[in-house]
Amino acid sequence: MTPGEPLIRWDWLLSHAGEIGQRVGEHLELTLIAVAVGFLIAFLLSLAALRVPRLYGPISWTTGILYTIPSLALFALLIPYTGLSLLTAEIGLVSYTLLILIRNIVAGVRGVPAEVREAARGMGYTDRQILWRIELPLALAVIFAGIRIATITTIGLVTVTALIGQGGMGYFILLGIQLFFSTALIVGALGSVILAVLADGSLVLVQRALTPWTHTP
Amino acid sequence: MPRCHAGAMAERRGATVELREVTKRYGDTVAVDHLSLTAPAGRITVLIGPSGCGKTTSLRMVNRLIEPTSGEILIDGHNVLQEDPTQLRRRIGYVIQQVGLFPHRTIGQNVATVPQLLGWPDARIRARVDELLSLIGFDPARMRDRYPAQLSGGERQRVGVARAMAAEPPLMLMDEPFGAVDPIVRERLQNEFLQLQRTQGITVVFVTHDIDEAIKLGDRVAIMRTGKLVQFAPPAELLAHPADDFVARFVGSDRGLKRLSLLTVGGAELDPPIDPSRLDGAPVLSPAMSLRDALAEMLVSETQTGMVRDGDRYLGVLTLSHIGRLLRSEQPK
Repeated sequence: MTPGEPLIRWDWLLSHAGEIGQRVGEHLELTLIAVAVGFLIAFLLSLAALRVPRLYGPISWTTGILYTIPSLALFALLIPYTGLSLLTAEIGLVSYTLLILIRNIVAGVRGVPAEVREAARGMGYTDRQILWRIELPLALAVIFAGIRIATITTIGLVTVTALIGQGGMGYFILLGIQLFFSTALIVGALGSVILAVLADGSLVLVQRALTPWTHTP
Repeated sequence: MPRCHAGAMAERRGATVELREVTKRYGDTVAVDHLSLTAPAGRITVLIGPSGCGKTTSLRMVNRLIEPTSGEILIDGHNVLQEDPTQLRRRIGYVIQQVGLFPHRTIGQNVATVPQLLGWPDARIRARVDELLSLIGFDPARMRDRYPAQLSGGERQRVGVARAMAAEPPLMLMDEPFGAVDPIVRERLQNEFLQLQRTQGITVVFVTHDIDEAIKLGDRVAIMRTGKLVQFAPPAELLAHPADDFVARFVGSDRGLKRLSLLTVGGAELDPPIDPSRLDGAPVLSPAMSLRDALAEMLVSETQTGMVRDGDRYLGVLTLSHIGRLLRSEQPK
């Protein structure tokens, strides 16, 4: 940081408002793609694990290992194959969502009370109807808890993808480090935190709208 | 539909269920062993016995939640084993002890479950839901949109019964439906259910381990032991003539008292009326009263007798020896 320079230069903020907006957009897009694709894969794997319980061990073991690989290392490993691309970024981001999402989807469905399932079967629901009309709706609260954690984690991780040229709020953090410029650093870091808080809040609202039975007086 | 047709409908509503030599084996264990019995149309047939006697397994084979190893189950002469299990279950009401209401659906939606599966038009479903909610003593406008979590245990159990009856099934299977509520609520639910079953004329197969419940609700009671049927008879006969020691022990050493609850004051022989002033403190009994209740009142009175009156008419005097004689007259040799 240059001596005598203020912590935040408001004039820079104002003159770069357009770029900040663009980076916020990139950040959200990277997050949305990662969580959406991650959810799709996690959902299919969860259905497989629910139908064939033997699969749950290997699935959770594999996604657990993916989760423990440091993100920088993962990107470095992928660059020879997929380059400095969006694909490289999303492969990393998606793989980090899987463990949390699969655990919550499976736990949510398994947590449906046995007597509810028994009553549904006894009244003539098919197995497929039980899954889609009873088990998954009842698992929504637990599934949403997983989506919230996955989203917050991803928003944090997206700052790293600036290193492979994918923009987002991480761009300002890199800029701040390179130029010893605290304003950019703060915009990048604080911006990412604010995005995470807002995303989490919106997901809570969506969940409440989707599960009215969980919060009636 | 006007209510006045209930009687006529009752005649054709109930189905007859017949089990023929039904056996269920799990490996080497025989859960149900060549069970044959017929649950008559429009009546309540109770399956009872100690834990592991096969009563619940037998019940769950009727709607094919469990597949029999061998034997035949006929509903109105049709073999259920030749039907699609899901289609079959939609035509049979099913109530379990834990109720299993769908927590994410309102009371109205819960009751509408089977009509919806059967594809009834919306207007008919709405009308049926409101009719059923009224039938179980709910105000439809007030209860329809509540969630199960907002109801008491007894209310949830009522909704479970309404949900099972929604698509007007000719047969209901009930597995200890009143086992999880407290005794006062249970008694109320039993009375309401009896009333409902009589007016709707549904055939009911009912599993319980509570002999008092079996005697109170059952038109016929099947006592089971280790997968076999030990005795199948109306409750009064079961109490008067237990088939063997097992049944006698199972119905309890107080079976004499239990029989009294099935007999009324009107059925007992009476002494001719005597001057009421000589019966000071004696309870006044009506002919419709159960002999068990009458006995309880007589025992605490000084005279040990009861004055039987039907409204204004003084019919006679009931004594302890009359009650004893009535019990002995029906006793086996």
